[in-house]
Amino acid sequence: MKVLLDSHRCQGHARCAAFAPETFVFDDDGFSRVREGMEDVKPENQAGVRKACANCPELAISIVED
Amino acid sequence: MTSIKDIERTMDFHGEALDNIFETYRLMRENCPVGRSEKYGGFWFLSKSDDIFKVEQDAETYSVKPTMLVPPVADFPMIPIDTDLPELMDYRRILLPLFTPQALAKMEKPVRDISQDLARKFVESGSTDATAGFARALPTIFFSRLAGFPEKDWPKFDAWVDDILYERTVDPERARKAQDAVIAYFDDLIEKYRGRTIDEADTGTIMDFLLEARIKGEPLSRKELLSYCYLMFLGGLDTTAWAIRASLWHLAQDLDAQRKLRENPELIPMAAEEFLRTLSPVQAMGRTCKKDTVIRGQEIKAGDRVVLLFGAGNRDPEIYDEPEKIKIDREDNRHLAFGAGHHRCLGSNLGRRELVIGLEEFLKVVPEFTLGDPSEKWYGVGRLTLNFKS
Ligand code: HEM
Ligand code: SF4
Repeated sequence: MKVLLDSHRCQGHARCAAFAPETFVFDDDGFSRVREGMEDVKPENQAGVRKACANCPELAISIVED
Repeated sequence: MTSIKDIERTMDFHGEALDNIFETYRLMRENCPVGRSEKYGGFWFLSKSDDIFKVEQDAETYSVKPTMLVPPVADFPMIPIDTDLPELMDYRRILLPLFTPQALAKMEKPVRDISQDLARKFVESGSTDATAGFARALPTIFFSRLAGFPEKDWPKFDAWVDDILYERTVDPERARKAQDAVIAYFDDLIEKYRGRTIDEADTGTIMDFLLEARIKGEPLSRKELLSYCYLMFLGGLDTTAWAIRASLWHLAQDLDAQRKLRENPELIPMAAEEFLRTLSPVQAMGRTCKKDTVIRGQEIKAGDRVVLLFGAGNRDPEIYDEPEKIKIDREDNRHLAFGAGHHRCLGSNLGRRELVIGLEEFLKVVPEFTLGDPSEKWYGVGRLTLNFKS
């Protein structure tokens, strides 16, 4: 499973941080991106990333299943 | 019997209209998802979640000028809420660093300490009004400190906020006077910050950030500063107070949920999202259409006002199972309580943390409580009487 974040859509709601803090990092203005090396989501992080995707108000996060 | 047409024509989302607003929303979603009200100079209103999201994210078609607020809360444009892209981003960037997850992590402890202290005093004092004792007190103390509003001035705030936000639909003259008083207050406060004749100066407050900000090398003008301060004052205090009060109002009647959250406090963040979805302090915001367009088959003309009924979108059955039910363990909750798109509430991450930590500490300290006066409403920042055994 891969996770993608569309930075044009992200508006910094930080819901992704609430569900998958290991996968997302924030710049100094509070916009999110996928942490380097975390694009391939490890099994133990998949549930959190799915929740982040379902709760992102801007639909900025997408998941590509293997 | 009032007909659907009459309900549509008189659609409003302030004051007593909120008494049965959720039923009104349902009727509108089902019968006229793009409706037309004659209130406040006339406006279209949207009650479907998808339509609201689309408009929020479409800066090409919609402007927030002359103002996002319906009816207006100021007779000048407010920063940043009444500004469009690209200037909007220049203004937002000044304060965004204050509300990142990293910045908020540092606020956890002070918010928790204040919440705990207020909850203890609330129980010890024998008072029963959880609005004055807790819901309003928490943002007044925490947000005012963060903003750099001196403590000796706090007692004046509630009356100003009430007059501007709640009296404007009843007594506009009173709201105007309060607006002028708030502007005069900030005019004086800015002077004190500039002259460093105030203890709060240079302590990293919102006031400091605004005064030190540069946009293309230029500081904000006096007018811009006053406008930004005024909006922060209106946006930072009352919204959070309402969210906390409404959550307690609900928990006082849903004892199963109250017990569950006491036993499993890790569920509180999820519950808080559900309270925001269903009982949100900001039920609606407005836009102005910039060019002729069509929403769900309805033509909208350039210059028409369009109101986004967040509260209605948040209960849209196409998005949520059992939308009218407050389920504290609802997992997928992409709600609109803080809006979306480029105007997404600047303080959303702070508002959320104040609500979550406030509820956590309140439930830790205050024993099981019930509603003391069933005539008290779900909305607003009026009294909330709670009964509990101390
Ligand atoms: C639970 C508490 C709160 C709720 C429900 C809330 C809700 C909202 C909503 C719905 C909007 C309009 C967004 C849109 O049109 O898309 C907004 C805008 C705004 N809010 Fe909040 N708010 C809350 C707390 C706060 C706090 C604590 C602050 C202070 C930092 C704040 C500052 C602002 C500002 C500055 C804007 C204008 C943003 C812009 O136009 O770019 N809000 N808020
Ligand atoms: S939840 Fe969505 S919009 Fe918010 S920070 Fe994460 S990716 Fe960005």
